[in-house]
Amino acid sequence: MRDFYVYGFKSRDEYTRKSSRSYDDERRRLESLLGEHMQFRQTPEGKNVFISIDSRLSHHNPLYKAWKAKSFTDGDITLHFILMDIFADNDEPLSLNEIADEIDIYLSGFSEPKTFDPSTIRKKLKEYALEGIIETEKVGKELRYKRAESLPFYDEDVLDVFSEVAPCGVIGSFLLDKKKSPNELFAFKHHYITSALDSDILCSLFMAMHDKCSVTLETKNRLEDTLMEDHVIPLQIMISVQSGREHLMAYIPKRNRIKPIRIDSIDKVKIEEVYPEYDDKREVLKKMIPNIWGVSTQGRSGDRMEHVEFTVHYEDNEKHILRRLEREKRCGTVEEIDKNTCRFSADVFDSTELVPWIRTFICRITDIHFSDRRIEETFKKDIEAMYRLYDMEGGEGS
Amino acid sequence: MIFSELYSAYYNTVAAVIRLAIDHPIKKDELRSIIDRYAFGESVLNIEPAIDEERWQLFRPDGSTIIKHLPEMPLTDMEKMWLNAISKDPRIQLFTDEIIEYPEVPPLFTADDYILYDKYSDGDDYEDEGYRERFRLILDAIKNSYPIKIKMKNRQGRLYKKVFVPRCIEYSEKDDKFRVLADNHSFGGTYNLGRITSCERFIGLYDEEEPYHTLAKRTVVFEVYDHRRALERVLLHFAHFEKEAEKLDETTYRVTLHYSAEDETEMVIRILSYGPMIKVLEPDGFVALIKERLEKQKSCRL
Repeated sequence: MRDFYVYGFKSRDEYTRKSSRSYDDERRRLESLLGEHMQFRQTPEGKNVFISIDSRLSHHNPLYKAWKAKSFTDGDITLHFILMDIFADNDEPLSLNEIADEIDIYLSGFSEPKTFDPSTIRKKLKEYALEGIIETEKVGKELRYKRAESLPFYDEDVLDVFSEVAPCGVIGSFLLDKKKSPNELFAFKHHYITSALDSDILCSLFMAMHDKCSVTLETKNRLEDTLMEDHVIPLQIMISVQSGREHLMAYIPKRNRIKPIRIDSIDKVKIEEVYPEYDDKREVLKKMIPNIWGVSTQGRSGDRMEHVEFTVHYEDNEKHILRRLEREKRCGTVEEIDKNTCRFSADVFDSTELVPWIRTFICRITDIHFSDRRIEETFKKDIEAMYRLYDMEGGEGS
Repeated sequence: MIFSELYSAYYNTVAAVIRLAIDHPIKKDELRSIIDRYAFGESVLNIEPAIDEERWQLFRPDGSTIIKHLPEMPLTDMEKMWLNAISKDPRIQLFTDEIIEYPEVPPLFTADDYILYDKYSDGDDYEDEGYRERFRLILDAIKNSYPIKIKMKNRQGRLYKKVFVPRCIEYSEKDDKFRVLADNHSFGGTYNLGRITSCERFIGLYDEEEPYHTLAKRTVVFEVYDHRRALERVLLHFAHFEKEAEKLDETTYRVTLHYSAEDETEMVIRILSYGPMIKVLEPDGFVALIKERLEKQKSCRL
């Protein structure tokens, strides 16, 4: 789904990633889930299928549907509604045998009634108890079951917003499905929806972090199409609201360092044992944060800390530039040099992370210095390359 | 998978069918309309036969149901944990003063567990009681379609008054700001909630303004040169727009992107941030905006 949405230019042959589901199966699945957003383009190599969504116009993240299509058996769904109905009739907890008898009565009217043996029913009840929708109590040696209390929760307005802006928003979307009708009172600008596809990973990481546990991650290398296992301590999630990327900041015991791991590269999370030094490692990360511009904790220079500073010029009627710098400076500092000039500076682990942002000030950068001279050279060469790209070589401009 | 089938669209669809079938034996067209609303494109091909063939033994052949009570599912622990987490978000106070908590489970995450590291620092003040009151009034006006009278300060600090019917509230995670959208011309029909200093229900004769489409679309076409993993970065960065990408050769891609006219300056600087990895091809006006900035940069003699 991610490939169809983010990339969108790949032909059938280019979807090479290993998957038990064939391209055609995947395309059919997407058409069923996201038919209204699917588009097609004929190319010499064949028909390309892609998903195009303006998330500013979608009041609810359409990619959440991927989590609402989990397969189940005929028995699962039949048992679910009958169980819930039996519990609705009984305030007192029921034994397994009483439940099994009731189920038989419910199904007796069918020409070929399904039969559920006690072990199937017990397994389902255990599963529901783990989900929290069934409560159990032991009377003597017997386990008895009743439905958990139905508790009130927030209204559609709250769920409309938080299902889109809070981490693991898909859970808000599940709750919204229980409400009568979704609203379209809220819209979302600069809204990245792809992280919806990593909701299960993020959820597992939060749970591990809450319990201060280590995890084994199965991650994929997108370039080499290989899988690898890592034993790490999950410390914090870094979310970019300007690219939609999410990273896990993790302590890697075998390297004795904290590094970012892209969450969309994680295939599986296995929560392991409690990590005794969890709080210490989190404290280490906390102290590092004021020198992390994005997520990187190590620059190419090999220096522990890199320095970057640049100066911008603005006219009297361009004071918004100073305000822009102030609100976007993150861990940097902004110093007014005179009424039309200011200087930004920062000490960070990896100064290459600032380069794209500094380029947004192109047209007014009067001076720039990186402690890593190679980055400075690349920055200046890139600007020269831009002049060439737009046939603006030679001269110093007007 | 961590999310069980309890959350599936099929379970919600069947719950909706049962609700109706408790009232009266359900007809085929009613079934299809529920499937259409709650499930997916091809779900009808699965759900109808499953009921007809009595594989899901919940409905009798005449369309009635063996279920006696309106389906209701308690909150799962996962849902309670998520609700506990959002209850700690300061934005919750925009909607309610009654914070709901489920003490039997912890929050799924806390403010210390994640950082929105590139969010702008001048976001709206959700602790401001006046802001919260204005937010609630505007939300009520949207739901009940009545005009409001606002006073607000523009960027230069000058005070303006305006009467309009709000249509929608828009939130930007990057700006951490809410904006009110309305179908009128002034300020492009967009009002930053943080700049509104007073807001009240307008009582009086209100002449509705000519609707104005604030989200008028423009298109920009550019090439991406896939060096330093630029392609992936560009496509992720611009993922939230309606767009098309096309491969021209092994390292060159052509992207056509549709954006709101009001965001043109933002688009220019976002494209500039990719340096020589992006070249804008059209329209000419957009190319001119890029060149103008590059010309000015040249004069800075860096």
